[in-house]
Amino acid sequence: MPDGAMPVLDVKGLKTVFRTRGGEVHAVNSVSFDLKPGELLGVVGESGSGKSVTMMSLIGLLPSPPADVREGQVLFGGEDLLKCSPEHLREVRGADIGFIFQDPMTSLNPVFTVGYQIMEPLRKHMGLDKAGAKKRARELLDLVGISDAERRLNDYPHQFSGGMRQRVMIAIALACDPKVLIADEPTTALDVTIQAQILELVRDIRQKLGMAIVWITHDLGVIAGIADRVIVMYGGQIVEQAPARELFHNPRHPYTRALLRTIPSVRGERAEKLNVIEGQPPILTAAPAACAFRRRCPHAFERCERENPLRHPIGPGHDAACFWDPETGGARA
Amino acid sequence: MLDAAPTPGRKKLVEVAGLKMYFPITAGIFRTRVGDVKAVDNVSFDIYEGETLGLVGESGCGKSTCGRVILRLYDPTAGSIRIDGREIGTSSQSDLRTMRPTMQMVFQDPQASLNPRMTVAAIIGEPLSEHTTLSKAEKLARIYELMDQVGLNRNFANRYPHEFSGGQRQRIGIARALALNPKFIVCDEPIAALDVSIQAQVVNLLEELQDRLGLTYLFISHDLSMVRHIADRVAVMYLGQIVELAPRDDLYATPLHPYTQALLSAVPEPDPDVETERRRIILTGDVPSPANPPEGCNFCTRCPKVMEICKTVEPAFREVEPGRYTACHLYDDTKTTAGQTAASEASKSTQQGV
Repeated sequence: MPDGAMPVLDVKGLKTVFRTRGGEVHAVNSVSFDLKPGELLGVVGESGSGKSVTMMSLIGLLPSPPADVREGQVLFGGEDLLKCSPEHLREVRGADIGFIFQDPMTSLNPVFTVGYQIMEPLRKHMGLDKAGAKKRARELLDLVGISDAERRLNDYPHQFSGGMRQRVMIAIALACDPKVLIADEPTTALDVTIQAQILELVRDIRQKLGMAIVWITHDLGVIAGIADRVIVMYGGQIVEQAPARELFHNPRHPYTRALLRTIPSVRGERAEKLNVIEGQPPILTAAPAACAFRRRCPHAFERCERENPLRHPIGPGHDAACFWDPETGGARA
Repeated sequence: MLDAAPTPGRKKLVEVAGLKMYFPITAGIFRTRVGDVKAVDNVSFDIYEGETLGLVGESGCGKSTCGRVILRLYDPTAGSIRIDGREIGTSSQSDLRTMRPTMQMVFQDPQASLNPRMTVAAIIGEPLSEHTTLSKAEKLARIYELMDQVGLNRNFANRYPHEFSGGQRQRIGIARALALNPKFIVCDEPIAALDVSIQAQVVNLLEELQDRLGLTYLFISHDLSMVRHIADRVAVMYLGQIVELAPRDDLYATPLHPYTQALLSAVPEPDPDVETERRRIILTGDVPSPANPPEGCNFCTRCPKVMEICKTVEPAFREVEPGRYTACHLYDDTKTTAGQTAASEASKSTQQGV
């Protein structure tokens, strides 16, 4: 770690397998990363790359069976979350680790008022009485920019628009002052102008509260705007990790490089033809014995078929899992 | 791709004038009509032969309804739609049937728009059985030809949709749309359900097919960066109306309407340096309900440049520069020919925003 700060969350060798009728699916394979206090870690990858499953595994949100968190360590506040009792984990989830899901409609309960849903964690985890919880709930709605908080507490989720519902979700996640906030594609279901509002809100809240955030998304534009550090996932593994600026200016893994080239922009030069990553993402029915990206990689050579590359350091805080060296254009020494 | 701005000499393939699509709101046991959802409210535009018109806007703005009503998947409330010189809006169902081969549609969700119990060959061959008198062998030859065109392996002709990935399913949908040699295809969010790396494959396929077959597209999308890539001209919709219509490069370089400016400013840029420097226009509030649009300009409740007149008088949708149309009171004093001032004013305001 370059800055020497103790990470708030330290994940080592996480491995999650789903048992299905068609055999095992190795959704997450030896994933290791850490989260430093106050930083915003972006996690990018396509659907099925394992980014959500990783985050759900580490706070015990996956139903088991079919999921099986087979190996690894998740160190949070000096204890291993994977070894905790379910009761204790529930304590941690509500109070210390907040979660925001992609779809604000399905993650709020339609038969309870928004006020009830914000106050629930406050009363359970912080032991506040009704009046105290209500006061805090009002403050939270103010914080996330919902005006007329007093009246809105009595409204039901369907009376809010998509963007407003996501603000409510953020308020619930922030209710107990968590140390870590995990946001799983929080703006994907929203329109661009509403997404811009939510991103602005998150920048603002970070400045005020300073908790560490894990932000899962497939949108590199969103990542560029808010992340300090980025991990790129492909085929259930981390293929590259770097500080945000470094990742966009000096991408090393062929997948990251290709991904950055495929997205068109609304500004600057307009490309005549879009760059394409040929082929399909891998099907993860076995533990990886070779590089997961080799079939779609323009630089793949014989070693990539034989061996799964480990992440190796490139610069401060930057590593990539690839045998190819973009500087020499050949195999890495 | 035809990149040149449409010249007056080019043929208009699709002409839409004063199109309205209202859905009734009913109440009570007698289902009395108590109001309308104005999904598409007085929309007019043309699409030239061989061009791609991008139709962008946020969810609920009426862009998909607009695309569907143009193909008469709904019966329009008012207005006229002419495709290839023939009136679509009011023609009878039996007349429509003879016109269907010229106009086709590619749907958003390739999972939901393909029958799970039909094989790929049956799906692609169905329009052929309906509209042509090809023999079995000829039909199969045509199915194989179509599969080749969209990059599907012929050996998969007897497989079912669930055996394919999202991108491949969208290719099946495209092959079905191409089966009858259409001139005009409405692509309704064809890439929204796909992953980034697969989106580019489908967009490139659509462009190749356009080049090869001379197709005309209405490309409906909320993804402004993809529309910039594929479209020749772009129309921006807000709350059932087109607020701006312009050639692609003009629209992205100097958007005129404040909504277009805000929309473009809201798109995040995949470059951290640009993102930290950029000043964004953040719109406040949400889109009003199309059942009860505001008085005057539809955008006046959220517009950062709102004036008194906007709250009472609805701005006309008109040409403020050659080829550039907008509905905004900011450009009231610009004459149709004097486009220069509007352009420079717009470029100033976007520079502030971007």
